Amino acid sequence: MSKKNKSTFGKFMSSFGNMFKRLFVKDKVEKDLLAEEAIMTPAKVILKNLVSNKLAVIGFIGFVAIFCFSFIGSQIKPLSLNYTELTNANLRPGRNYLKYPKELDSKDVKEIVSGISFSAAITEDGKFYIWGTESNRELENVSTKIFNVPAEVYENKIVDIVAGGTHILAIDENDNVYGWGYYGNNQTIVPDNVKKVFEDPNVSIKKVLAATQWTAILGTNGELYIWGSSQAQMNFLISSKTQGRIVDVVAGDNNMALLLDDGTMTMIGDRGTEFYLNIPENVKNGEVKIKQMAATNRNVLLLTEEGDLILWGSAENQLNVMPEYEGDIVAIASGYKNFLALQDNGEVVVWGSTELGQNVLPEDADDLTEIYGGYFQFYGEDSEGVLHAWGNKGYFFGSDHFGRDIYTRIIHGGRISLTVGAIAMVISTIIAIIVGLTAGYFGGWVDQALMRLADVFSAIPFFPIAVTLSFIMGNKVSQSNRLFIIMIILGVLGWMGLARLIRAQLLLEREKDFVLAARALGVKQRNIMSKHILPNVFNMVLVNITLGYASSLLTEAGLSFLGFGVSEPTPSWGNMLNAAEQATVIEFYWWRWVIPAVFVIAAALCINLIGDALRDAMDPKANER
Amino acid sequence: MGKYLVKRIIILIPVIICISIILFGISKAMPGDPVRAMLPTTLKEEQYQAAYDAMYERLGLDKSLPEQYVRWIGNLFLGEFGYSTMYNRPVKDAVAEPLKNTIILNVFVNIFYLIIAIPLGIKCATKRGGFFDNFWSVFSLVTYSLPSFFLALSLIYIFGIKLGWLPMGGMPNTSILAGTDLYLSWLKHLALPVITLTIISIAGAIRYVKNAMIDALSQDYIRTARSKGLNTKVVVYSHAFRNALIPVSTIIVGTLFSLFSGSAITETVFTYNGIGKLMVAAVNQRDTQMIITMNLFFSIVSVASVLVSDIIYGLVDPRVKLS
Repeated sequence: MSKKNKSTFGKFMSSFGNMFKRLFVKDKVEKDLLAEEAIMTPAKVILKNLVSNKLAVIGFIGFVAIFCFSFIGSQIKPLSLNYTELTNANLRPGRNYLKYPKELDSKDVKEIVSGISFSAAITEDGKFYIWGTESNRELENVSTKIFNVPAEVYENKIVDIVAGGTHILAIDENDNVYGWGYYGNNQTIVPDNVKKVFEDPNVSIKKVLAATQWTAILGTNGELYIWGSSQAQMNFLISSKTQGRIVDVVAGDNNMALLLDDGTMTMIGDRGTEFYLNIPENVKNGEVKIKQMAATNRNVLLLTEEGDLILWGSAENQLNVMPEYEGDIVAIASGYKNFLALQDNGEVVVWGSTELGQNVLPEDADDLTEIYGGYFQFYGEDSEGVLHAWGNKGYFFGSDHFGRDIYTRIIHGGRISLTVGAIAMVISTIIAIIVGLTAGYFGGWVDQALMRLADVFSAIPFFPIAVTLSFIMGNKVSQSNRLFIIMIILGVLGWMGLARLIRAQLLLEREKDFVLAARALGVKQRNIMSKHILPNVFNMVLVNITLGYASSLLTEAGLSFLGFGVSEPTPSWGNMLNAAEQATVIEFYWWRWVIPAVFVIAAALCINLIGDALRDAMDPKANER
Repeated sequence: MGKYLVKRIIILIPVIICISIILFGISKAMPGDPVRAMLPTTLKEEQYQAAYDAMYERLGLDKSLPEQYVRWIGNLFLGEFGYSTMYNRPVKDAVAEPLKNTIILNVFVNIFYLIIAIPLGIKCATKRGGFFDNFWSVFSLVTYSLPSFFLALSLIYIFGIKLGWLPMGGMPNTSILAGTDLYLSWLKHLALPVITLTIISIAGAIRYVKNAMIDALSQDYIRTARSKGLNTKVVVYSHAFRNALIPVSTIIVGTLFSLFSGSAITETVFTYNGIGKLMVAAVNQRDTQMIITMNLFFSIVSVASVLVSDIIYGLVDPRVKLS
């Protein structure tokens, strides 16, 4: 009797507990044949059927896994909604940006350079190494692969390398230049007139520079040659007064700082930037002796012979604010949005952007003698020659058109999608239960009115009206409240089927013999309803809740896919798929639409498996012996 | 039958009135000023106010809401659906071409749907629990969990991009092509949307046919027929299937009509110029009159589907006529 008094909810919860017990703990008591035949409560029968159904168990485990992934994951991995990094747009999946070959630890590294998604190194004896992930640029019928390294690079002694965002240039000891990678602007192909200059044995290559759009070579004759996109060529005009006197140069995408032979500095490129305009007077007129130069995209950092740092440029990421440091600076380096300064005690000061872990140095990296940087990857070599790497490790699921990590967005999008689906389903279930029970219980004109109401709602086609309502309501509320609007729209438009079912079931159960028996025994009407009829209806509601949850997940995905659901920058699995409306995304950036879709499908499939198994388990016909 | 039909129609009338009121409410809640949308932007300021007032009166916006509603209904009966700002022509004319395209698409989907779903459902029911049945159970479970746009995108990726057999989307170019070429082009453009919609819609249908058949096959008269020594084929097709048709026919009619509004996503992905895509485009372009007309159209289709399935139910189930 005590079991019968348990609430339905309690029964429901304990059934899940039992399910786990059955799953993981073996039943030690031998069942005898007769006991097996004993009558079981409906809940027990359902549970037994469920646990014996492998698909249901798989579905349950799968759903719990996805649920934990989204809800626990979103607590661990924070998401900054408005973060964008266009440089890192559309990168393919890969977490090996920093996984340099281990043999470099035992070699004498001369230079390490990094592109957007890869890094390359040369050793003192001229050996070339490359690691990371293939770059994002794709051209039809053209091999633009960064790992498609020309054979000569491995055969010859390489003395200098440079990486643009998506291409590499390597120079061997005979001043031969090898370029490969993306060459949409010819940036990997050395123009003939430049080649001719370096055929002269008296002139050799002093320095190479590269950005995503262009490449530049500085010769020992003091001349700088720039090629690549036409925009860059127009931007970087070197006057005849400076050409031939250049001894060193650093550059951002749109500006270059040229150090001339008399110690003065001059700027070329975009005249409107802080990079160009804010150059200190004492640097410009050559009062300070410069030991080393470094530049991010918009800032310049100089290390003087006296060990002082001079910094100017844009305030973005607070790059123009000199951090506190102790001791003397021995070397400087730069990434795309960061500066690094190496102190004489072997510690590195990093400032600038921190979004990709640029400031998170490995714990054992406290004895560095050399630092290298490029884009978002940084390397340091310690006194024992061991390399340490930090910065952008890569993107597990790739990145989207704003350079955002898809993995993080999948986690947070899952939390949103699962929540929106669940709340929409709860809303529609509550409405359905209220309407269905009221109609079934009272009957008469109440029943008629409510069922006509259900008729009206189901005659209004779901998708068009959901889109229309989302359009109307979406205009009137703020971005964050649109989420609630979607939940309400999905909930309010989805209750009719279940309400009808509940009413029909109620009418059916009311006529059954056990109700008659209960009435004959003098059980109160209210108790007949709550203890005898409702539990039978509840089973059906449970099946409908699970199946309805899966379909509201899919509907949210569909609406968001068309742009009428959860709106950017808030991620949801559906609106992450929105990108697939462009053919280029379908063709080249498969990770941007396949991965979110796989999560939607997996979640919906798991829930459907559970719902399907529940329905089978509750079907009395299936329990016949 | 006539009496039954009249009764069904009478029941539907309040439903239709309610829907029209809801749609009227939605049209009133639409963002944007309907008068401004109707006026040319070239007008000068003093002219503009006068023209605005004139148009305001012409549209009947100065009247009370019930009066506006009656006028609106009257206009609908006259075929006046308003003016589409997206196409710069009356909604009535702008809808014709997409409607034709959607009907073409749906005819193909319906044919495949019926040809595939019914035999499969019957076979699953007769071979219940076997490999065939299990395969289609899993298939319908998976397609139930498959967003239609993902299926569409995958088909585009495989057949449109990787293999290059079929166009990625769009419509046949009627201005260049003619004769057989045009028909061939139609078939090519229709292939992927038809496959997508067929796969998405047969999942439920197979299941439904199967359940109806299982119910029918477990009836006493089937046992009688079997014990009489009748051929299995005769038992399945003429005894069981005819009875299974009663629930199946109504649900199938419902699905056929729901394809009209349900194909919006598929049409958008394939840039197929149908009314589903038109609806989405209208919302994106804030073409309010078009949005309302589309909603009205889809509602009419769905009410009609209720009526048609009632009629068919009456036709196939002799018991209905008796009551």
